[in-house]
Amino acid sequence: MKTPVGSNLESILAGDHFAVTAEVGPPRGPDPAEVIKKAEILRGVADAYNVTDNQTAVVRMSSIAASKVLLQQGLEPVMQIVCRDRNRIAIQSDLLGAWALGMRNVLCLSGDHQSAGGGGKLKGHPCAKNVYDIDSIQLISIVKGLGDDAVQDGGDSISPAAPFFIGAAWTPLGPPEKFRTIRLAKKIDAGADFIQTQAVYDIKHFAEAVRRAEDMGLTDRAAILPGIIVPRSVGMLKYMNANVPGIEVPDDMIKRMKDAAEPKAEGIKITLELIEAVKNLSGIKGVHLQAIEAEELLPDVIKAAGLLPRPEIE
Amino acid sequence: MIQYCTILFKEFITASEVSSVCMVPKSSEGYILSCFYVWEGNMGSKLNRGNQDREVVLLCCQHCLNGEAKDSIWSLGAQGVSIRTIMMPCSSKVEVPYILKILEAGADGVEIIACPKQSCKFLVGSLRAEKRIEYIHELLEKIGYAGERVGISRKLSQSPEELFDIAKARAKAIENLGLNPMKGE
Amino acid sequence: MIFAEWKPLDELIDKLKSHNKLLLAGCATCVAECAAGGEKEVETLAPLLRMALKKHGCSIEIVTCTIEKQCEWEFVEELAEKAEEVDAIMSIACGIGTQALAERYDPIPVYPGVNTSALTIREEDGLWVARCAACGDCVLGETFGYCPIARCAKSLLNGPCGGTRKNGKCELDEDVDCIWNLIVERADERGQLESLSQMKKTKDWSNSRHGGPKRVIREDLR
Repeated sequence: MKTPVGSNLESILAGDHFAVTAEVGPPRGPDPAEVIKKAEILRGVADAYNVTDNQTAVVRMSSIAASKVLLQQGLEPVMQIVCRDRNRIAIQSDLLGAWALGMRNVLCLSGDHQSAGGGGKLKGHPCAKNVYDIDSIQLISIVKGLGDDAVQDGGDSISPAAPFFIGAAWTPLGPPEKFRTIRLAKKIDAGADFIQTQAVYDIKHFAEAVRRAEDMGLTDRAAILPGIIVPRSVGMLKYMNANVPGIEVPDDMIKRMKDAAEPKAEGIKITLELIEAVKNLSGIKGVHLQAIEAEELLPDVIKAAGLLPRPEIE
Repeated sequence: MIQYCTILFKEFITASEVSSVCMVPKSSEGYILSCFYVWEGNMGSKLNRGNQDREVVLLCCQHCLNGEAKDSIWSLGAQGVSIRTIMMPCSSKVEVPYILKILEAGADGVEIIACPKQSCKFLVGSLRAEKRIEYIHELLEKIGYAGERVGISRKLSQSPEELFDIAKARAKAIENLGLNPMKGE
Repeated sequence: MIFAEWKPLDELIDKLKSHNKLLLAGCATCVAECAAGGEKEVETLAPLLRMALKKHGCSIEIVTCTIEKQCEWEFVEELAEKAEEVDAIMSIACGIGTQALAERYDPIPVYPGVNTSALTIREEDGLWVARCAACGDCVLGETFGYCPIARCAKSLLNGPCGGTRKNGKCELDEDVDCIWNLIVERADERGQLESLSQMKKTKDWSNSRHGGPKRVIREDLR
């Protein structure tokens, strides 16, 4: 059994509570007050808060800095790290720094390629040189090495060890589907403790993937938290279904949103149904909630889902 | 089947010096095209100078001309248009460098006279012409020349009169462009 | 082949405006195969440059020559006679050739006429696709003949990211296959999917440019 690293998320899951994580996107600027504002809105509604790392290759306050601000506000961060911008030297260095600053959860991702930066609205940095020295699975393995064996990639030691609660992402519904569970297994073999998935709308299809993971014994070794994005309009659902790889929205859900008299309210209803559905899936240990540019919705949603108050573990 | 294609320049390049001949294997189609590139510092006899005629060069696939057009050597000036013809074994032999060199020599317009798409003697030869012309248009536009200077006409059995009409039409299309700046060397 | 494309013509004109006589040098190997710098392209670019420069009021004389390879000194030597008469050379060979000319014909300025950008194969007429990244640590034996370094935007080594579209293409470009999708399909066809379940460790990039400018000596060939 792994020695606890001192992460609240870890304790919640170890105590068999249904975990809740939410997301805090850092601002496109240096002002910590913006992070604090989001922290205030989301205080107490989740067990840990993901802080993104220059998501979609748009320059934002670094995830290590924004994570520290959250920590100072009494919220526990999940520091996201992508492989796009930093090599193994910088990443290991940042991990040591993060640990020194009090971070205990990391989410290891490969990271969006910078050619897609900004989603069309911003110029982004398509001309930048990218790094991708390592991939997300190698990153998980490196984080594990720093924690379990006090060793860097390549063999040099660190002192003392820097143990983290290690997270990874899973896109169960993208092609090649037959490989997605194998890839999940690779991440868990490399050391992942918890898994946050790409947004789920098609419960049936997702459940099949979870069952495959269960059959491979993966749901016992790592806590799977399906991602749920609060839908706000039929346009948003259609867009995600057509353009975001790994997101599948069933036709009847699209129709439901289209016919809804009040789409925003309907979106909340759908979110609550999704939370309830994944709670009842065997092998699911929590939920990862996102409301894009609408974090203020989350407290009510989480409350209405019966997930408040969050358990406090000493 | 090895096809040797020759370019016969009539009355256009008088002192032509074929400086180099190269065989270029074209492996994707599995046959060998030989290309004769003509290099010259200047393109032989200069086109009309000191004259406001629009000079149009017709690059003619010999297979779409009628007997009379094929046999006559074309060099005509009338109604404000000077016309030169160059006979080609197929419009597929019209390559981008030839057209650019003709423009460089001072021609105001160039028209490819080609067989209709389904009638090419060499099956698919004439299909390439449009794409090459499109490419030439892009290149010309990049250096501030109008793409309208280069075009293509497709019909079988063209007569000398029809060729003359085509040349006049090309001259009309470029009449607002002014003479080719490359003239007057 | 080494793949290159013409630089924007404005850039070339800018460099050539101040010169009187130019040697435009082509190469009959890689750049000819990718239709950027062979004889045909030299004879396309030369009239274009003359016409463009004339519009800028500059009557530069351009002589042309295409040699077999610009990366072999014996062929580079063939340009000597023409090089003597010019005050500038523009090479439309790759960066290797351009530098060879710059070294041999110093002090004549040698300008690149192309941007060298990839190692490609001509998949079909008019379609070139990068297939090798010269990473110096080839994994093709483990990835069933598909290179994830060159053909995955993130150079992933352990399977696809979450960006594979429903039709198997990459989220970054709808015309580009997710190479890991292809690797997995082929592994599956051969009943070897298991081989992809072992983590591929961190890559050694040092045998490529990342290890510093490469310099290799073969004593047996000196």
